[in-house]
Amino acid sequence: MARGRTRWWWKRETRSVTVTQVTRSLEDSEERPNMAMELNGGSVIAMVGKNCVAIASDLRLGNQALTVATNFEKIFPVSEQLYIGLCGLATDVETLRERFRFLVNMYTIKESRAISPQAFAHLVSSTLYEKRFGPYFIEPVIAGLEPITTTPTDGSAPTTEFRPFIAGADVIGCLNFAKDFIVTGTASDKLFGVAEGLWEPDLGPEDLFETISQTLLNAVDRDAYSGWGAVVHVITPDKVVSRTLKARMD
Amino acid sequence: MPSMEHVAHPQQRAFNPYTENGGTILAIAGADFTVIAGDTRQSEGYSIQTRYAPKVFRLTDRAVLAVNGFAADGNMFVKKVKQRLEWYRHAHAKDMPLRAIARLIQTMLYAQRFFPYYVYNILGGIEDDGTGAVYSFDPVGSYEREACRAAGAAQSLVQPFLDNQIYFKNQQAAPGQTHPSHLPLPDVLSIVIDSFTSATERHIEVGDGLEMYIVLAKGRNTQGMESLHGVQELSSKLDGERVFVVRRELKKD
Repeated sequence: MARGRTRWWWKRETRSVTVTQVTRSLEDSEERPNMAMELNGGSVIAMVGKNCVAIASDLRLGNQALTVATNFEKIFPVSEQLYIGLCGLATDVETLRERFRFLVNMYTIKESRAISPQAFAHLVSSTLYEKRFGPYFIEPVIAGLEPITTTPTDGSAPTTEFRPFIAGADVIGCLNFAKDFIVTGTASDKLFGVAEGLWEPDLGPEDLFETISQTLLNAVDRDAYSGWGAVVHVITPDKVVSRTLKARMD
Repeated sequence: MPSMEHVAHPQQRAFNPYTENGGTILAIAGADFTVIAGDTRQSEGYSIQTRYAPKVFRLTDRAVLAVNGFAADGNMFVKKVKQRLEWYRHAHAKDMPLRAIARLIQTMLYAQRFFPYYVYNILGGIEDDGTGAVYSFDPVGSYEREACRAAGAAQSLVQPFLDNQIYFKNQQAAPGQTHPSHLPLPDVLSIVIDSFTSATERHIEVGDGLEMYIVLAKGRNTQGMESLHGVQELSSKLDGERVFVVRRELKKD
C-alpha cells in the first residue's frame, strides 16, 4: 500500500510538469520578430522622377547597437542604367550581390544584350522565391531606366526612349511596382513618412536628388540602426551621377 | 490506484487592462500661437471602433491637451486634469499658467507610476510671457518643452518630417541668413495638414477626420487664419488668449 501511494505522488508530479511546459512558436511573431532583419541595420530608398530615377542608401554596418563600419555600400550597379539596393542581413547582401552578378552575366551572354529592368526584377523575384522556406533576409530595391525602342514605319532610324522604373520586393520575392517611391530597411516607416510628405511627380534630376537626399537623411537621423553617411545615385538617360552625402555621424 | 483524470492541472490566467487605440497627435509652437492637432479615428486591432473620437481637448483659454494611446485612460486623465484646473480656478480666481499645468500633469502621471495611464500627452498653448509652447510627456510624466512634437501610431512617420520642415534639419541656410526659429501660422497649418494626409496614406490606424486647435496669444489678431474655412471659436472671453478649432476630412480607407 505504502509503495502504491509513493508511486501515485510521483506520477502526479510528472504529469504536472508536462502540462506546464511552454511551447514556443518557431514562426515570427509580434513578440519575437525576425531578428535577422535588424541585426546589421541599414536602409534603402528609390524614387521616380521625370526621365530619371534615383536610388540612395545609408552606409552603416552594425552588429545590433554596435556600429562596425561606416562605409558599407548596399547599392550595386547591374548594368549601365540599372541599380539594385540590397537591404537586410549583411551576409546575404554579399551573397546575393555575387549571385545576381553571376545570373546577369549568364543572361547577357545567352541573350547577347543587356538585361532590362523589368526582366531583372523578375529574375530577382524568382531567385528569392527559390528559397521560399529558408529565405535570404534581404528586401531588395531596383531602380533603372527601361529602354523603349520604337522603329518608325517610314524606314527612318529607330529611336530609343527611357521610361523610369523602380521596384521593390519582400524577402520571398513578392514584387511591388510602385510609381512613386520604394523604401526598405530599419528606417522604412520613417522613410515612408518623409517621402510621402516631400515627393511629388515629375521632378527633374536635380530636384529629385534633393528630394531623395532630404528624405533619406531626415529618416535615418531618427533611426538608431541606420545612418553614418549616405550615397545617392541619380540615373538619367545620358549619365549616372553618384554622390556621397555629408551626414550626421552619431 | 486512483484515476488521474480528475487531478487539477495548473492553469494560467491573464487579464490585460490595457488596449492600444491607435491614432496620432501633433503640436507645433509659433512665436505667438500654438497649433495642436489629432486625427479622430479610434481603432482596436484591425477594427475601427468609431470615426469620430476626439483626442484633443481645450483645458483653458490658453491650454489645449492632446492625448494618445489607451483611449479609456486618456479620457479619464483629461477628466481629472480638467477637475484639478477647476479647483485651481475656485481657489485662485484665475486660470492656471501653462507651465504650471505641465508640472501638474507630470505629478498626476507619476502618481500612477506603478499602474500608469497608458497615454502619451502633448500639451500646447500660450505661456505667461505670450510665447507659443509645446510640452510633451511620456506615460509616467517625464516632460520637456519643445517647438514641435508628434506622438502616437504614426509618430515615426511624422517626427522626421517635422525635423526637416520645422527645425530645418539637414538643410543649409542661404549665405548670410539663418533659419527662422518659429514659422508663421499659415505655414504651420499646411505642414500639419500635410503630415496628417501623409500619415493617413501610409498608416492604417490614422484617418477619418482631423481636428486642429489654434491658440492665439493675448492681443494677437487672427492674421493667417483668413483663408481657413469652418473656423469655430471656443474662447470664453475675447480680450485674453483665444482658442479656435478647425476640422478637416481625412481619407476613410
